Amino acid sequence: MLKIKDLKVSIEGKVILNGINLEVKPGEIHAIMGPNGSGKSTLANVLAGRDEYEITEGTVDFFGKDLLDMDVDERSHAGLFLAFQYPVEIPGVTNATFLKSAVNAGREARGEEELKPIEILKLIKAKAAMLDIDPSFLKRSLNEGFSGGEKKRNEMLQMAVLEPKLGILDETDSGLDIDALKVVAESVNALRSPDRSFVVVTHYQRLLDHIVPDYVHVLYNGRIVKSGDKNLAIELEEKGYDWIKEEVDAITA
Amino acid sequence: MSIISKDRDSNTKEWIKALFQTYEAGLNGQSNQPIAAFKKSAFDQLMTEEFPTRRDEDWKYTNVAPIIKEAYKFGTPSDLSQNEFDQFLFEGLDAVIVAIVNGVLDKNLSKLDRMPTGLNMMTVADALQDEEISSKIQNLVDQKGGTDKNPFLRMNRAFAQHGYVIISDKNAHVEKPIHFIHINTGINETYFSHPQLFMIGSKSSEFSVIESYHSTNNDAKYFTNAANYIQVEDNAHVHHYRLQFESKSAYQITNSIAIQARDSVYSNYSVDLGGRIVRNNISTEHMGPGVNTHYYGAYLGLDNQHIDNQTFIDHAVPHCESNEMYKGILSDKARGVFNGKVLVRQDAQKTNAYQQNASLVLSDTAVMDAKPQLEIYADDVKCSHGATIGQLDQESVFYLKSRGLSDEGAKNLLQKAFIGDVILNFRFQPIIDKVLAMVDAKLSKK
Repeated sequence: MLKIKDLKVSIEGKVILNGINLEVKPGEIHAIMGPNGSGKSTLANVLAGRDEYEITEGTVDFFGKDLLDMDVDERSHAGLFLAFQYPVEIPGVTNATFLKSAVNAGREARGEEELKPIEILKLIKAKAAMLDIDPSFLKRSLNEGFSGGEKKRNEMLQMAVLEPKLGILDETDSGLDIDALKVVAESVNALRSPDRSFVVVTHYQRLLDHIVPDYVHVLYNGRIVKSGDKNLAIELEEKGYDWIKEEVDAITA
Repeated sequence: MSIISKDRDSNTKEWIKALFQTYEAGLNGQSNQPIAAFKKSAFDQLMTEEFPTRRDEDWKYTNVAPIIKEAYKFGTPSDLSQNEFDQFLFEGLDAVIVAIVNGVLDKNLSKLDRMPTGLNMMTVADALQDEEISSKIQNLVDQKGGTDKNPFLRMNRAFAQHGYVIISDKNAHVEKPIHFIHINTGINETYFSHPQLFMIGSKSSEFSVIESYHSTNNDAKYFTNAANYIQVEDNAHVHHYRLQFESKSAYQITNSIAIQARDSVYSNYSVDLGGRIVRNNISTEHMGPGVNTHYYGAYLGLDNQHIDNQTFIDHAVPHCESNEMYKGILSDKARGVFNGKVLVRQDAQKTNAYQQNASLVLSDTAVMDAKPQLEIYADDVKCSHGATIGQLDQESVFYLKSRGLSDEGAKNLLQKAFIGDVILNFRFQPIIDKVLAMVDAKLSKK
């Protein structure tokens, strides 16, 4: 599904990612963890297509295509979805209107027939019900005045409606209380399927109690320095990142 | 005053005079009716007035010379079919329909027989026969409004053909709006028309009036010179929609003058999508405490459109509130103007006055002039204003594209949202839907 090879990324001349290698297969959940400034969010943003980064080396293959050569909207059409760390507020357009535009934009790009507004609304309402989201949510302006938890819940609704093949969660859990965090986790679990994968970028192990990952990777100084299963996350929670930093620094020293 | 402008005025006055004499000649013994005197007094005053130039502070950004240099004709009834007319209706809106084509009332296309209880409509000519209503009308036309040098008000009164008075019963809460649909069908003739409305909200009543302006041809050149007078009596609420979808070559000047008694609410909802030169003067005077005034305005200017909103709120008494929200987009060579005057007089303690004007300027050649103008003479008040001019937020574009919208789709949606922020305050869903659809159509035609 997703193959990242030796990816090196800089911003304004500063190296942020220094050779990332990662393969995600259908149905897998990968957690990316790491201390602040390790490059976690950069990885998520580069995959989503943010253009302030300079890709100096490496390739990213998404279903046999060069992801880095695709425009932001093309990545969405191909089945990539980024849940934002800070979703933007857009007053003046309702959630429902926005979702209708997004669904039909994707369908049009894939050569599928456009859905009628009433059909899309039905689809959106079904997904909202699945995620236990109040239908009044749909009539509100996109993220305007939403609490942190509501915004993240809205990201999950968008993900459910757009049905991506790969969902990337960029520190979606940061700053959430336990109830909001459970909503995010339950959403991901509800969307889990044998052909859908997730990359969960997080600073805290807590989310991984609720979304059980197949793999946990630790990012440090722009590289994946350790990989393991869910037990690695538990170990990090107990011992912090220092022991890994020491290990790595000892080798590179 | 320069000689050139005197010349200009005298030419204009010549065709005005000729037109008025033709009208008078056609009166046929009706000249003793109050309406004749009502018009004549306006005409006489008009002949003594000067048209504004850009040297006049209130007209600094808007040149009316191209508007008044044309010699206009009165419109003639057209053979607009029911089918052609129906495309201008707002889908799903249950309203009393008043069809005015080329400035002339079309009785066949109108649906005047479905007047809701509690609301009365009569011609200005008839209303002037009623002593009580007549004195209200006279008082309203004597209001100065917020704009100096404004002969267009007299021009409207001298030439209005189908002026109406809408007056509610006391305590009547009327849900069904009256919708005036103005359509220009002239293409080879340069028509002018003078829509005129008096809205009188009697004590503790509430009703809505919609004026919408359309053209069957986007290249048609004509001039709409509208005047609205609104009197909101104690505890009443008048909702007034002005939805301007004129042709891209049309001129429009609208004057709306409101006076509000205690505890009353006046809400004005204004949309400007069409027009070559558009000037929208609106003013409200507070006569008693507890008054609320809301102005919502949205504009979208492309090509070489010029859209000027001039607002004035006169806080003369304590404990009143005003709230203005104007948002718009300018692209190509379009020019927008917002001049928001708020006067808080010394007696008007505990005033809350808020004014917001935000514009997106999306090309190097588009221009926006924003001029908030607050004059505050009371010391215990809350007043704020914000004028911002900016561009589309790149982070928002990225967000929408990441959900699959194309670059153009994302930008169009953001523009629609920017204007939608104002439109979503409108009270009738069919109006919201219609305006947003018109915005959509205009943006995607680019």
